[in-house]
Amino acid sequence: MNAHSRRVAGQRLPRLDGIGKVTGKHVYAADFTLPGMLFGKVLRSRRAHALIRKLDISRAAAIPGIRGIITSADIPAVRFGQAVRDTSVFALDRVLFAGHPIAAVAATSLEIAEQAIAAIDVEFEDLPTLFDPEAALDSNIRIHPDWETYKALPIIARSGNISGRARIRAGDVNEAFASAYRVYEHRFTTPLVHPGYTEPRTAVADWDANSNVTVWSNTQLPFDTQNTLAEILDLPAARIRVIVPGIGGGFGGKLRIGVEHFAALLARKTARPVKVMTTCEDELTSAYPRQATVVTLKTGVDREGRLLAREGRIIVDCGAFAGSGPGTAAISLQIMAGPYKTPVLALEGIAVYTNKVPSGSFRAPAGPMANFAVESQMDIIARDLGIDPLEIRLRNIVREGDLGPSGEIHKSVSIEECLRRAADAIGWEQRNPEPGRGKGIACSWWMTTGGSSGVYVKINPDGTATLVSGAVEIGSGAITGAAQVLAEELSLDLTDINVAGVDTQTAPFDYGAQGSRTAFSVGNACLAAASDLRRQMFDLAARQLDAEVNTMVLRDKHVVAGSKSISIAELARISRLSGGGLIAHGTAISPSPAYDPTRLENHPLPAWNSPSYHAHAVDLSVDSATGSVTINRYVVAQDVGFAINPTYIEGQIEGGVAQGIGQALSEEIVYNEGTVVNANLTDYKMPTAQDMPDVECILVECASAAGPYGAKGVGEPPCIQPPAAINNAIAAATGFWLDSLPMTAEKIAKQLRASRA
Amino acid sequence: MTRTNLDILINGERHQILIEPHWTLLHVLRSVVGMMGTKENCLEAECGVCTVLLDGKSVNSCILLAGQTAGRSVTTIEGIGNPEHLHPLQAAFIECGAVQCGYCIPGMILTAKSFLDENPGRRQSRDEIREAIAGNLCRCTGYRKIVDAVALAAERMSVAGAKP
Repeated sequence: MNAHSRRVAGQRLPRLDGIGKVTGKHVYAADFTLPGMLFGKVLRSRRAHALIRKLDISRAAAIPGIRGIITSADIPAVRFGQAVRDTSVFALDRVLFAGHPIAAVAATSLEIAEQAIAAIDVEFEDLPTLFDPEAALDSNIRIHPDWETYKALPIIARSGNISGRARIRAGDVNEAFASAYRVYEHRFTTPLVHPGYTEPRTAVADWDANSNVTVWSNTQLPFDTQNTLAEILDLPAARIRVIVPGIGGGFGGKLRIGVEHFAALLARKTARPVKVMTTCEDELTSAYPRQATVVTLKTGVDREGRLLAREGRIIVDCGAFAGSGPGTAAISLQIMAGPYKTPVLALEGIAVYTNKVPSGSFRAPAGPMANFAVESQMDIIARDLGIDPLEIRLRNIVREGDLGPSGEIHKSVSIEECLRRAADAIGWEQRNPEPGRGKGIACSWWMTTGGSSGVYVKINPDGTATLVSGAVEIGSGAITGAAQVLAEELSLDLTDINVAGVDTQTAPFDYGAQGSRTAFSVGNACLAAASDLRRQMFDLAARQLDAEVNTMVLRDKHVVAGSKSISIAELARISRLSGGGLIAHGTAISPSPAYDPTRLENHPLPAWNSPSYHAHAVDLSVDSATGSVTINRYVVAQDVGFAINPTYIEGQIEGGVAQGIGQALSEEIVYNEGTVVNANLTDYKMPTAQDMPDVECILVECASAAGPYGAKGVGEPPCIQPPAAINNAIAAATGFWLDSLPMTAEKIAKQLRASRA
Repeated sequence: MTRTNLDILINGERHQILIEPHWTLLHVLRSVVGMMGTKENCLEAECGVCTVLLDGKSVNSCILLAGQTAGRSVTTIEGIGNPEHLHPLQAAFIECGAVQCGYCIPGMILTAKSFLDENPGRRQSRDEIREAIAGNLCRCTGYRKIVDAVALAAERMSVAGAKP
């Protein structure tokens, strides 16, 4: 099938859930209620690091309307966690951050639950604290004194406060630096930032008469939530049913269990359905933000600016629990290498515990932090050597067949096209159109997260199809994209595809709406299911039409064999009587690319599946008095492999850039002595409509052999480059680079004054 | 607590509800009347997801005491259109791809409606639209397609010449 013959895939068709969402009929987890439902609240520590000396719930339990209170005394001391099993439902003998759960209550109203929380009596004995990740590396203070007893993935190297350490090495850096024309060393820092989804994390739990529990939640990973609940509740996973009614964004912040366990435990205790929903303060003090990092880079180049060697180290502040910190530290290594050909590499990623909020996997984990460092340094080097920033990149970027940092072979490489098209679009030849105005560019690469997906597809008697997937439609339009693939393959219209809601009891497994994988992986599973359905329909049609299967094609909702044809609807009706209907199970798994294991240590994601390449260019103005930045234009050239639905790919890019601009210019969870001081949306500054330019998207289509019709992952990349591209444009406008995010007006004004002095 | 009677018009329908003095309009809409189209998030009038129209003007229902709405008219997303008869704004949001996760969209559409109703029959500049919707946070779209959708609806409604 060639691209021109496609009627559905590749078209700008309206998303399947659009009408429900604009009319208020789409039900989100936060909207979900059950009769007789109680309201749960969680008591969270206000101390950053302390022993719990006393925990008395008697006063709270006596409040009328309270139906149940649970503390660590009520449940087994199970430790769970993604890479390191270091997390418990409630603080055990000590709290490790301000926000650490201590107890939970269920009451007939939210107000009563809040009163009970205030009435729980806790006495603490403060312990010495660690807030600085670099200090935590060598400190004698142990945030997890018993860390050696925790189970962890074998690939995670731990010691002291270090929850994980990964390395990539190739060649001898010291030798390479000694022979370099110049060697540059820089240090960059990035803060904690919140994913900022508009729907709070919510769960409603209810136990049935047979002691099975159903949890309605807005998790991105229903199967992971099911497994974690199984450990916490000490039940087989099959007795836990997770249903996702609808989800108001996630961006990685709703990957791991958030409030589902509190709802399930309170519901078991009270024998009533219980709803738990976070507040804005909960979100900004105890959700799963992007880790703060410290990145140091040492890069050796020749006279022409060609990269000879790079030594890089990223310290990832994972907070009180490892969360995705070890994985993020490891993924950082590929970003530190960049989409560049560097013969010698010594890259190290370290995740370290501090007494701060446990962090998570916000969109492109490690991407914006490491790219901010790498791409800012590329421009600093270019300036020093008198080379144009675009030119230095073009001299160093990887080409088809080059070796990647893990010794893998780069394929389907489009970085030059992305760089040239982004630069052309922004008017690169004129980088300083007027004083105080500058243009910057930054590029990167990113994986298409693999993992397995399964779908069931059933043909209905009216000839439409029902798609059952375990993947959540998080808002990206990925399920509409997968449905477009299915419709294309079955010769149906997109509106002929009915998408069932996600329910772990009935849906096949899916690795989850995470990474940049849903349309890719679920789309591939749809290809497989459609292939099976075609076989089933052709077999059935062979008997009805008295024709050979190998003469048949599927066209306009009919099986056609020469001059004879029969509709899919008719076949579906016949199949009901003859064999239980037309139904197929399609599966997909991305094979791991080959790599060189001698280059890697403790890396959980050694080589990237179907990577994408991208470049961002920005034109901005810096106010010489206030230091405030106004973005005039923003251009993204991103390789998407094949644009299954260009409208929603643009939506992903425009939204990712908005989050990236937030991280670049304004967003930061601010700590003061272990307490978040801006735990509200007035002081945590996400971009509004007035802060955003009209992002211009250039979709590059350099097909991947692995994706449906060549598609690559799309969702995470647009979040990666904005900080670096903006820093480089600020430098073009002012002459200086910032070395910490966010690049607030205050920081820029301070530098402007210093440079004038 | 003493409950008082609230007489209120919601989407053109009269409701008489016993309320507690501290209840917000958002609480009444979602938890008493059961209209879940109005969304809940920050409860501090910062994100805009709970926006409804009070006598035609957009308000954050999370900080408005229900008692203050006595005798007044409230319009929620359920009141401006339905799947069979979409409001021009609802149709434009779908057409322009302005809907992603969708959680901010009911509030966004009502804010846009309030803005367009203030200036009937007039096309709006992109800057004017951006200013009008700046109180409604959207984390998915980057706003461009939302601005496109409001501009498209404004144009169609101004061409139609009718008060929207």
